[in-house]
Amino acid sequence: MIRVHGLKKSFPPVMALDGVAFEALDGEVTGLIGPNGAGKTTALRILYTVLRPDSGAARIDGFDTVNDRRDVQRRIGVLPDSRGLYPRLTAREHVRYYGRLHGLGGADLERRIDALIETLGITDFADRRARGFSKGQTRKVAMARALVHEPHNLLLDEPTNGLDVGSSRAVHKLIDGWRRQGRCVLFCSHIMQEVAAVADRIVVMAAGRIVAQGTVAELLRRTGTDDLERMFLSLTGRTESW
Amino acid sequence: MWRRIFVVFLKEVVDNSRDRRSLLVALIYPLLGPAILGILISAVIDVVSAGQARDMTLAVKDGERAPGLVRFLEERGVKVTPAPLDPESAVRDGKVEIVMVIPDDYPTRFRAGQTASIVVVANSSRLPGLVALNHAAALLGDYNREVWGARIASRGVDIQELRPLDIKSIDVAAGTHIAEILLFMVPPLFIFNLFMGGVYLAIDTTSGERERGSLEPLLINPVERWALMLGKYLAALFFTGAAVAVQLMAFSVTFHSAAGGTLAFAEVLSIAAIAGIVLMTLPLMMVAVGVQFIIATVTRSFKEAQTYLGLLPLVPAIPGMVLVFAPVQAKAWMMMIPAFSQTLLLGAFVRGETLPMADVALSMSSSLVAALALIAISAHLYDREKLIFGG
Repeated sequence: MIRVHGLKKSFPPVMALDGVAFEALDGEVTGLIGPNGAGKTTALRILYTVLRPDSGAARIDGFDTVNDRRDVQRRIGVLPDSRGLYPRLTAREHVRYYGRLHGLGGADLERRIDALIETLGITDFADRRARGFSKGQTRKVAMARALVHEPHNLLLDEPTNGLDVGSSRAVHKLIDGWRRQGRCVLFCSHIMQEVAAVADRIVVMAAGRIVAQGTVAELLRRTGTDDLERMFLSLTGRTESW
Repeated sequence: MWRRIFVVFLKEVVDNSRDRRSLLVALIYPLLGPAILGILISAVIDVVSAGQARDMTLAVKDGERAPGLVRFLEERGVKVTPAPLDPESAVRDGKVEIVMVIPDDYPTRFRAGQTASIVVVANSSRLPGLVALNHAAALLGDYNREVWGARIASRGVDIQELRPLDIKSIDVAAGTHIAEILLFMVPPLFIFNLFMGGVYLAIDTTSGERERGSLEPLLINPVERWALMLGKYLAALFFTGAAVAVQLMAFSVTFHSAAGGTLAFAEVLSIAAIAGIVLMTLPLMMVAVGVQFIIATVTRSFKEAQTYLGLLPLVPAIPGMVLVFAPVQAKAWMMMIPAFSQTLLLGAFVRGETLPMADVALSMSSSLVAALALIAISAHLYDREKLIFGG
């Protein structure tokens, strides 16, 4: 469960977030969408505790992302904006490292690692070093290390960015599975079709503000169009230009 | 929290021990100083001991003009050989080390009891030339005294009255003297290596981690940022300690073999002494890694960090290089300066002096205070939002 209200953040002279408020409920997938530079990544970075808001607050399961940072970190699994691996560690060692940083260890941790390697389809390259991994392989390992502590809330920044159709579908399936388990999923994307296909609710951002929230059907009705892309452009006040 | 710090430490040590560059800096670079010094010392000792050998060869031009001198030299075990046609160019080209030239007026002046000249051609810029020149000068001095004594005695004066002093010097250092001076290169080489050993780790675990994009996900784990920093710091310290220990052992090995065990320092540099030096300089290692972390954290990229940190080791090594040629007497305030105090202490150790415990304590505690301040600054830098962006 994620609650955000009055979130402001500036990187002078840019006002990255200008009073952002939204909710993401358990058992639902919430899609944060907006054009490049809308503030999606900044909003997520505040949620996953690496940035502090200038004002306003973000709460995850009731814990404040600034004051209860450790509690928040224990409850979130994150695919952040930068998601690099260590070239000299194997896939399995990546997951083990994060597990240990979460205080896990022993047979319990190894069991979790084996399960994740199986679920995410890492088996073939589990004991290979990360140097030379493909984008898809890298993404799987980044996912696995984010899930090792079985977090209730999932924050994904452009989870399918750069992936081929097959890998993207696998990610969508994964997200759908978390929804069924009653977890809270918040992901951001700039691809309208993806958000419409995966998300239960959509939060549309533009220039650091929330410009619309609701289900796909509600937003289509509101903009009086049946075309997703046209709806997106209409809501964000953008035209077909650079 | 200490368990998490250990988790980070362990990961960085394993990760970097798989990295050729980290290993090169920590385990191979430290061998270079001892290797170069070992070669220099054995070369010097070879030359000096060869020059001192009994069978010195001396080229004498027109030796028939001074038969007395030639006989004197041969009695002293010198092998007198004919001189090259052009003594000066032969010496300059290094074909012979030294040539003694007897001018044509020597026989008449010598017989008349006047001062006769002898020309000695040598190249003092070459170590063997210098050794030969000293040897030849000593021999000529002896001959001078012998002739002089004979002439005075023939005039009925007792030579003892005119020679109140007969100076016989015994130089215990003798052959190893120049080699001992080279030993003063040990402190600057040591300091340079100490500031070099962990550099690669400091960069790799900080700017490198940011550039790889693995820093942001790491920071999301439920671990305090200072604890992440400390784990990485300890890993860099571990590699620094390894580099220092490897270098000291290499010094011990090269000095033993280079000088054939004649160097006093080789005897002193035992395993216990190496452990003592590592312990004594541990606070300085902490300072070095602290500086490396601060620079690696505030620079924006791997390359930028590498540029600054590549030059860093030279700075604390410079005083030690100056001290090779112009030693100073250690004062208490000097023991307060990290790097400088360790340079002085190690210099004293190399000279075979006993280190005053008060100086060691002052050096260690002042460096420790500096190190703790640097660690606090690094921890503060790690806590800034800017960390994920750099700068």
